[in-house]
Amino acid sequence: MAQFALVIDLNTCVGCHACATNCKEWNTQAAFGPLSDFDPYGREPQGVWYNRIMTYEMGEFPNTQVFHLPKSCLHCQDSPCVPVCPTGASYKREQDGIVLVNYDDCIGCKLCSWSCPYGCREFDEADKVMKKCTLCIDRIYDESLPPEHRKPACVLTCPAKARFFGDIEDPNSEVYNVIKERNGFVLFSDAGTNPGNHYLPRTETKVHVDEHLLKHDNPLFLEVLRRHHVGG
Amino acid sequence: MHPPISLIWFFLTAGVSIGLFNFTYFMEFLTLFGKNTAMPRQAVIISLVISLVLIGLGAIGASFHLGHKMRAWKAIKRFHTSWLSREAVFSGAYGFVLFLYGLAYYFNANLFIQHSLGILTFVLGWLSAFSTAMIYASNKFVLEWYTSLTVLYYLNMYLMLGSSAFLSLTYFYRPEFVPTYLFLTFLFVSLGLAFRIAFNIRQFIIPRPTINEALNLPHNRPIRVLDTGTTTNNYCTEEFYYKKGKDLLGSVLPVAYILTFIVPLFLILYAWITGNYNYNFFKIAFASLVLGSFLERWCFFVEGNHVQNLFYGLYPEEGYRLRKGYMERKKTVIRL
Repeated sequence: MAQFALVIDLNTCVGCHACATNCKEWNTQAAFGPLSDFDPYGREPQGVWYNRIMTYEMGEFPNTQVFHLPKSCLHCQDSPCVPVCPTGASYKREQDGIVLVNYDDCIGCKLCSWSCPYGCREFDEADKVMKKCTLCIDRIYDESLPPEHRKPACVLTCPAKARFFGDIEDPNSEVYNVIKERNGFVLFSDAGTNPGNHYLPRTETKVHVDEHLLKHDNPLFLEVLRRHHVGG
Repeated sequence: MHPPISLIWFFLTAGVSIGLFNFTYFMEFLTLFGKNTAMPRQAVIISLVISLVLIGLGAIGASFHLGHKMRAWKAIKRFHTSWLSREAVFSGAYGFVLFLYGLAYYFNANLFIQHSLGILTFVLGWLSAFSTAMIYASNKFVLEWYTSLTVLYYLNMYLMLGSSAFLSLTYFYRPEFVPTYLFLTFLFVSLGLAFRIAFNIRQFIIPRPTINEALNLPHNRPIRVLDTGTTTNNYCTEEFYYKKGKDLLGSVLPVAYILTFIVPLFLILYAWITGNYNYNFFKIAFASLVLGSFLERWCFFVEGNHVQNLFYGLYPEEGYRLRKGYMERKKTVIRL
């Protein structure tokens, strides 16, 4: 069975939020829109986003790495959000594995978001329905677009080309091969959801912190040196 | 988790309704075996009307949780997979059959019809309660709820509420049953206390996932959230991490314990031991149980930690320390 999904290269993602912004722009104006915003120019702007970028720091100072993790619906192959939906509004398409919400059937009980371990479903307070990434289904099947544009908005816009899109079950697809060659992994692999979206791990970069690399006029010089020696 | 007041309201109304009907009908049912246990007609009718009104109010109240109330009927579509769908079907059927049973009882219908409807209402009531409990107990991403203890405790609370409500009716109409119902209320409240303590203790020993597990990264590297991509809260952080509730939990939980268990147990034991059957004791015990159960359910929601909070760095860390040895034995294929 086909499973359309995104593959995101954590080496190249620079956390610029272009994918999130373009996702919001496309999905606000396209077939599944709008994605409501509340208090957009106020102190606490809130709204529905299909795609959110998290930034994490890994390791201990000074040997740390920062990486960005774009997170949208993972289109799980065993989607826990689908069976719990009492109305059948939430469903998984057999032909391409995309998980969608039928807004006309959604009663806004929020149970699907309770069943998602990734936090990829958001309740639209204006429309009172649950919304989530559609993999831009209105773009990828739009025959009026040139073939190279039949991709999700986030993939097309990524300036670092960190995102790939395709059928991860098709051995001839780019995503299948890139997952296989570069050891693609999924979030929360123990959750039993078998997500479609994969991430390509960062390649290891070892930095040996040397005294020469430290600026002597750094006010934290002694602290850095002490921690470095204590940490071995 | 953010506590939805409408769901707590449904718990209380459905709990008293199903619990009260349970005991009312059970006493009727025993008459089939030649026991003189039935309540006077007026008492049964009052009990049935209360049960029917409460389940109706519960259904109306619960609909406030929905974004689209007028589409609530669609919640019957996924009966084969969704516990919420089953809850909707069973609670609706319970209310409808309860109404039919009330009519059959009021018009003195044939005994076979009366008891068939009575047994059906009884079964549907428990199926409804079980389905509601399973909505929480089947959610494997809120580890505090993901246990059969949730179901046992939930069903026992219905019995607590029902037996204490029925105690007041027996006091007025069949005072000779008061000792029996004092014992039953004492039993269910004591069991409830035991389940609640077990529920709270379990929270400290459940093995919890870590942010490393969520991100599928090596377990020996500390990970810290720097930015969650938005400057303010969003739906996920508000729905799955209720900060104000977490701050209040330490104060509310002891009050819930006192009102739900300690006050009713004290009053019931006092009445039982001294034989002083003062109606005020039973009224206060029931009122305390209802108010306490409201707070207890509020705590139940706030105590729930959804694993998606890991991505926001809002998940309890205690589990990491408890699970550290286990985590280090796991094979990790990802190399960074």
